[in-house]
Order: sequence, then C-alpha cells, then structure tokens
Amino acid sequence: MIDFEEELKKFKPSLEVEEAEDAIYDRDLTDMTDIMQEILREARQHR
Amino acid sequence: MDSYNKIIRLSNTLYNDGLRRAGVRDLSGAAESLRKSLRLYKANIPARNLLGLVYFEMGEVVDALSEWVISRSLQPEDNPAEQYLEAIQSNRSRLSSVNQTIKKYNQALLYCQQNSRDLAIIQLKKILASNPGLIKGHQLLALLYMQENKYELAKRELVAAAKIDNSNITTLRYLQEVDQHLQKGASSGKSSHRKKENTASYQSGNDVIIQPTNFKDTSPVMTILNLVIGVVIGILITWFLITPNVRQSAISDARKAELEANNELTSRTQEIKGLEQEIEKLNKQIKQMEGKSDDSQKIIDNYEQLLAVYEAFSQQNIQAAGDSIGNVDQNLLGTQAKAMYNTLSAQVNEQYIAAVYQQAEQDYNSRKFQEAVTGLEKVVQVEEDYQDGYAVYYLAQSYRQIGDAENAKKYYQRMVELHPGTQRARASQRYLDELNQQP
Repeated sequence: MIDFEEELKKFKPSLEVEEAEDAIYDRDLTDMTDIMQEILREARQHR
Repeated sequence: MDSYNKIIRLSNTLYNDGLRRAGVRDLSGAAESLRKSLRLYKANIPARNLLGLVYFEMGEVVDALSEWVISRSLQPEDNPAEQYLEAIQSNRSRLSSVNQTIKKYNQALLYCQQNSRDLAIIQLKKILASNPGLIKGHQLLALLYMQENKYELAKRELVAAAKIDNSNITTLRYLQEVDQHLQKGASSGKSSHRKKENTASYQSGNDVIIQPTNFKDTSPVMTILNLVIGVVIGILITWFLITPNVRQSAISDARKAELEANNELTSRTQEIKGLEQEIEKLNKQIKQMEGKSDDSQKIIDNYEQLLAVYEAFSQQNIQAAGDSIGNVDQNLLGTQAKAMYNTLSAQVNEQYIAAVYQQAEQDYNSRKFQEAVTGLEKVVQVEEDYQDGYAVYYLAQSYRQIGDAENAKKYYQRMVELHPGTQRARASQRYLDELNQQP
C-alpha cells in the first residue's frame, strides 16, 4: 500500500535554468582515475 | 597503467550498457549505468553526452544542460554536446518554455505539500501539455489521482510515463498499486460496472470527456411525455409545497382571529363583572336606604307611643299610660325625648304600679287568683320588692292557688331570699317544702 505522504517526500524540486550554473560549479567531478592517480602520488611520496 | 586502462574499459563497458538500455527505452537503467561509467571516468564524453540525452528525454532539461556543459568543458573540440547546446540555446522561446515548465512543476509540488491537490492537478496537467516527457510530472499526477481514488486516470498517466521510461521503479510500483485497485473495483459489483459501461470517455486535449452511451435525441412522443411529467411534477410541487403553506397561513389567520375573539370575550366578561358589582353595590345601597326607612318608621311609631303615654297621663288615665309606656323603646329616642321619657315613666310607673297592685290585691283577697297573677306579674316586673315583698309573696300564693307549682316555688324562693327571718319568709319556706315534697 502506497503512503501518499511518504511518496510525496521523494519528489524533489527540479533545478531551474538560472540555477544550472551554480549546480555545475558545485558538482564533485572526482572519478576513479583521479582517485587512482591520488593513490599513486601518495605511494610515490611514501617511497 | 594497466589499472588506468582497466578503469577506462570498465567505464566504456558501462557506457555500452547504458546505450543498450537507452535503445530499449530503459532510461532509468541507462542513466544509472552512465552515471557509474562517469564515476569511473569523468572524461567519457560519449557517456556524458548520452546521459544528457537521457535526462533530456526524461524531461530533466537542466540536468541535461549540465552534463553537456561539463562535456563541452572537458572536450571543447569535436564534441556533439556543442550541437545539443546550440540547438537549445538558439531557440530562446523553447528554453523559456522549458524553464516555465520547471517552475510550474516546483509550484505544483508546493501545492501538494500545502494539501491543495486540486490546484496541483491543474498545474501538472498544464505542465505535461507543454512538456509531455517529464516523467516525474506524470508520476506525481498519478500519485494525486491515486490519492483521490481516480485509478483509471492514474493508470493513464503511468502508462504515458512507462512509454518514455519502461523500467522506472517508481512508475512500475505505482502501476502495480493501481492495477490492484482496478481489479478490486472490477469485482466489487455489477451495478458499478454497468454504470461504467453506460458511459464512454475520450480525451480532448488534457481533459477527459465522459458521455453516456445511450444518449438519444428526443422524439415528439418523448416531448409530450416530458411535458406530462413536467405538469405532474408541477402539480406535486403545488400539492406538497404550496398547499401546505396556504393551509398554514389559513390556520395562522384563524388562530389570530380566535385570539382576538378571546381577548374581546375576556374584556366583555370583565365589563359584565364590573357592571354586576355595580348592581350589587346599588342593591346594597337600596337595602340600606330601605332599612333606614324602616328605622325612620320605627322612630316615628316610637315617638307616637310616647305621645300616647303623655296624652293618657295628662288625662289621668294611668292604666292606659302604663300599658303604653311599655311599648316605648327609649333607645330610639333623642336626648331631650329620653329625659322626658324618664320623667314620665317614673311618674306613670309609680301611679300605674300602685293602681295595678291595688287592683291585684283586691283580686287576691276576692280569691280571683288568675287576675291577681296578671296584675302582680306587672308589678313585680317593674319593682320586684314592691310593698316590702308583699307583691312577690301574693304572686307566689296566687300561683300556688291556681296550681302553678313551678312559678309558686320560684317566687317563694325569692321571698325567702329578699326578706329572710320574717313571718312571710318562714311561711314561704314551709310552702316550698310542701311543694317540693309533692310528686
């Protein structure tokens, strides 16, 4: 049985066009390659 | 660098998975795979561009724009994202429309949170008319319909959402719920089912038109029948609504008239009572006047008796004066008349009693005891101890002689009391004893 109030909470407001720029800047774009390069760098430093 | 290549390959694999899913309109699955791909390798331009396209298809224009902008910044040259961005930015009205749609969606969501579902439904219908690909708009509208038990309308929205994204978890969950309710509704009764069959619904723009399937044009016979039904309804309305009011009004008027009549009757009764009291008062006055008149007559008669006494006394007719003076009531006389009465009475009584006693004594001596009793009674009543009690003594003797023992004993007793120790008292006592011994 679906709980209306609970389901309603899952719907979030959409970003408006004016907010897109801030959203892009604030986005964390760190990926696995960044993490791996970080790990390698730290490993070299330890050597 | 094998690890690096492995990551790139893994990212590409996820991109391929996303591409395959997007091909079969599993947009949610495609987006998930593409996001994973980009978490491994953010510069996977085909994956990011495809994610933008998937977002765009799902109606999430700003998310799409974001992906494409990032994509262009990562690879400024030879990037399809450039074309996508140009296509959107070149059509300013389209971009403005999209932005308005987003704002309206946010407003609809606010309406839902404020429990204004009707407004939210209206708003969402407008949004989906201009942006039919907005999956979460369809889902929210379906949720609102479900909350209002409009499961058929909810299903329609969910089907529309499923056509865009056929494996969206939320859409599938809602559809399952809607199907359950529709199955329950289908088996809940034939009457409601028949009712549904009697209507046909179709879509006109955003509105659902529901019209009866058995609609017929009115024939002349039906027109006459309708007129007859109208007349009957009119008569029934008159009978059940107007007539009771008229009756009520008549009853109300009758009650008012009755009340006024009662008031009039009460006032008349009061007047009658007042007049009766006045009559009674006047009757009393008449009786008083009649009483006064009687008293006046008595006073006149009394004065006439007094004059008769005076006249008889002046003519030396003592017997007549003495007989008449007993008829005079001194209480009815005035002050002067009373003084005159007292003087006259003293003179008349003295002479009258002397004359009566003299006659009675003669009768006694002549043994005329009955006559003697009559005269001596008069004397004793005026003066009991007249002639030193001889009047009483002779009276007792006379009563004894005529055989009236009771009166004889009474006056013998008075003799013994008035003159004790005398010869007459002793004789009286002896006679008393004798009479008491008699049976």
